Amino acid sequence: MLRTLLSVMAVLSALATTAHAQSSIKIAILGPMAFVQGENHWAGAEMARDEINRAGGINMGGRRLTVELVKVDTNELQSVPDATNAIERAITRDRADFLMGGFRSEAVLAMQEVAMDNKKIFLGAGASLTKLGANVEANYDRYKYWFRISPTKDTDLIRTVFTILGSVAAQIRTDLKKEVPKVAILAEKAAWTEGLVPAVQKTLPAMKLEIAGLWQPSDRATDVTAELSAIERSGADIVFTLLSGPVGIVVGRQMGERNMKAVAFGINVEAQKDEFWSATAGKGQFVSTLDTFAEVELTPKMTPFVRAFKERFKKSPAYNAATYDGIYILKEAIEKTGTMNADQLVPFLEKMDFVGAAFYTTFDKRHDLVWAPGKTAGIAVQWQDGKKVPFWPPQIKGMQPFRMPR
Amino acid sequence: MYLLRRAWANLKNEILVLPSRVLVALWVLGLALLPVVWPDPYILRIVTMTCLFAIFAASWDLLAGFAGQVSFGHALNFGTGAYASALLAQNLGLSPWITVWVGALVALVIGLATGWLCLRLRGSYLSLATLALPIIVIGVLFAFPNFSGGELGISGLRRLTTSPVGNYAIAAIAMLVSVFAMWLIADSKFGLVLHAIRDDEVAARASGINTTRYKLAVFMLSALFAGVSGALYSHFLRVAGPSTLEVALSFQAVIWGIFGGAATIYGPVAAVFLLYPFTEWLGNFERLSELRLLIFAVTVLVILLFMPRGMVSWVRDKIESVCPRCKARNGAWRRECRLCGAGLHGAFAPARRAP
Repeated sequence: MLRTLLSVMAVLSALATTAHAQSSIKIAILGPMAFVQGENHWAGAEMARDEINRAGGINMGGRRLTVELVKVDTNELQSVPDATNAIERAITRDRADFLMGGFRSEAVLAMQEVAMDNKKIFLGAGASLTKLGANVEANYDRYKYWFRISPTKDTDLIRTVFTILGSVAAQIRTDLKKEVPKVAILAEKAAWTEGLVPAVQKTLPAMKLEIAGLWQPSDRATDVTAELSAIERSGADIVFTLLSGPVGIVVGRQMGERNMKAVAFGINVEAQKDEFWSATAGKGQFVSTLDTFAEVELTPKMTPFVRAFKERFKKSPAYNAATYDGIYILKEAIEKTGTMNADQLVPFLEKMDFVGAAFYTTFDKRHDLVWAPGKTAGIAVQWQDGKKVPFWPPQIKGMQPFRMPR
Repeated sequence: MYLLRRAWANLKNEILVLPSRVLVALWVLGLALLPVVWPDPYILRIVTMTCLFAIFAASWDLLAGFAGQVSFGHALNFGTGAYASALLAQNLGLSPWITVWVGALVALVIGLATGWLCLRLRGSYLSLATLALPIIVIGVLFAFPNFSGGELGISGLRRLTTSPVGNYAIAAIAMLVSVFAMWLIADSKFGLVLHAIRDDEVAARASGINTTRYKLAVFMLSALFAGVSGALYSHFLRVAGPSTLEVALSFQAVIWGIFGGAATIYGPVAAVFLLYPFTEWLGNFERLSELRLLIFAVTVLVILLFMPRGMVSWVRDKIESVCPRCKARNGAWRRECRLCGAGLHGAFAPARRAP
C-alpha cells in the first residue's frame, strides 16, 4: 500500500515537473541591476515578455509557451566572481533555458565560459569586446552558443564613429568653405581610450582632417577650462570626444558657457542619457554622440518601441534595452525550428535575418552583428534646444539636420 | 584494531575535549561530504570560491595579524599569482598544474620585493605604501596591453579539471593544506617571533632577533599563499583580469581578517565561510540583491561593534576558557583545567590525588 502510494506520488510529481517545464520558457536576464545598464536590460526584456505573453506566448511545435523572465543581478561592475556565481545560479538553480545580457567585458568573458560549459545560448547585450566573438571563430564547438545582439563589436563602433565624423566634416566643408577642417581630440585618460587615440591620430589625416592637438583630462574631471581654452586657441572646428565618465557633462556645460564655435562629436556616454540637458544646466547645446534608439525609422519597429518604452518607463531606452530584440529573436528561432534544443537553434540563428527594434540583425561567422550603416551601426544624436535630435544616418526617415554652433 | 583504538583515543582526548576543535572537525567533515550530499554545481562553485578566498584572507592574517605588517594592498600578491600563472599558460602553453606553482613562486618574489621596499615603514605609512603597489601594477599592465591583455586581462585559460566536483576538490584540498600550513607556521617558534615583532619591534631586535630577516620571510610566505589562491582563481574562472588587483579586493581581505579575528588564521577563514556565502545568498532575493553590499557593510559594523576582537575570537571565548596556570584551553563547562587541574572561573582547584 505504502509502495503504491509512493509510486503514485512520484509519477504525479514527475508529471507536475514536466508540465511546468513545458508551460514556459525561462530566460535569465543578466546585468548589473543596480545600474542603468541592468535597468535597461530588464526593461527591454519586460516589454518583450509582456507583448509576447499577451499575444498568446511562443508557439513551439503547436504548444503555447509563455515567456518567464528571471532577473539576475550580476553585480559585475563591482565583482567578476559575483557575475560568474550569478550566471551559474541562473543555469543550475533557476533552470534558465536561455541567457541574455552582460555589460562589463571582463565579467562577460568569465560568464561566457560558464554559459559555454553548460551549452546554453547566451545573447550578449552590452559588451562590445571583439574577443567574445573571436572565441567563436577560434573554438567553434565550444563557443557557438554565444551571439552578440547589441552593440556591434568595438572595432565596428570605431568604424561607425569615423563614418559619422566624415559626414560632420563634409557639412563643415560646405558650411564654412574650409577644405581641411581642424579636429581637436578630447579623450579621457582611461584604459579604453589608450588604444583608440593612436588609431584616431592615424586615421584623421587620411580623412583630410587636420589634427589640432590631443587633450586628455581625467574621466572624473570637474573642470576642463584649460583644455577648452587651448582647443579654442588651436582654431579647432570639431572637438572629437572619447568620453565615458562624468567629465562628459563638464565638457558639454563648459563648451556651452564659453560659446565655443567648435562642435563636439564622438562618444560621450553621459550625453546619451535623458538627464544630460539638465545636468549641463541647459548648456549642452550641439553636443553630439553615438546612440542606439530614437524615434526614427531605422527599422520599422524602432519608433513604436521607443514610444512604448518612454510611456512605460518615462525615459529613453539605452542600447542594453536590445534584450527586447533578443527575446523576439529567440521567439522566431523557437517557432521556426519547433525546439528549444541549443544545438538545433544555433544553425538557425546563424542564418537568421531578423528585423528588430534596434537593428537589422544578421550574424557573421563570429556570431557578431554584421556591420552596416543604417542597419546595425546605430544612430548619432545631437542635443538641440533641450532635445536629443537624431541626425545620422541622414537618409533614414525621421532624421533631422545636424546644426553647427555658428 | 590497535590503530582504530588509538584513533578513537586521539579523537576523544585531542578533539572532543574542546568545542572549537569539534567545530573544526565538523567543518572538515562537511567539506569532505559536500560533493556527495549536495552535488549542486552552483553550491560547489560558491564553496570553491569561498575556499580560494579563505586562503587569501588567511595569508593576509599571517602578515598583518601575526607580524603586524598591515597591508592594504594584499591583492598585489593575489593578482601576481593570477597573472603570472595565466601568462605562462597562455604564452608558453604550459599545463596549469605547473603554472599555478610558478605563479605562486612569482608572487613570493614580489612579496620579497614588497617587504624590502617597505622595511623601513611602519603603521599607517606601511599600509599606504602597500596600497599603492597594486595600483602601480595595474598601471603597468595597462601600459603593455599586448602583453597583459590590458583592461580585459587574459581569458580562455585552461582549467585544472573540467568537472565542478574536481574543481571543488582542488580548491578545498588547497585551502585545507594552506590554512593548516599557515596555522603551523603561526604556532611555531617562527610565529612567536612574529608576535614579538608585532608587539615591540625594537625590543625584539634588542633581544637579538634579526627582525629584517623575519619580516622579509613573512612577506614572502604570505605572498606565496596569496599567489596560490590567485593562480587557482584565474584557472577556475578562466580569466585573469585587473579585478584581481583591485583595491576593493585588498580591503575584502582586511574586512575578512578583522571580522573573523586577527592573529588567529582560522578567524579570517571562518569569516570568509560566513560572509561570502551570506552575500551570495542575499543575491537570491530580488529585493535584497541590490542592497547586499549595504547589508554586508551593516553586518560587519554591527558584529565588530559588539565583538571588537573579531567574531571567531568572541565565540571561542564564550565556549572555552583559558587555564590561569598552564594557559591550556578548556571547555567553558569545566570547573578545573583538563591538563593541570587548576581551578577555572576563579574556583579553587581540588587537591589532586597522588598517582
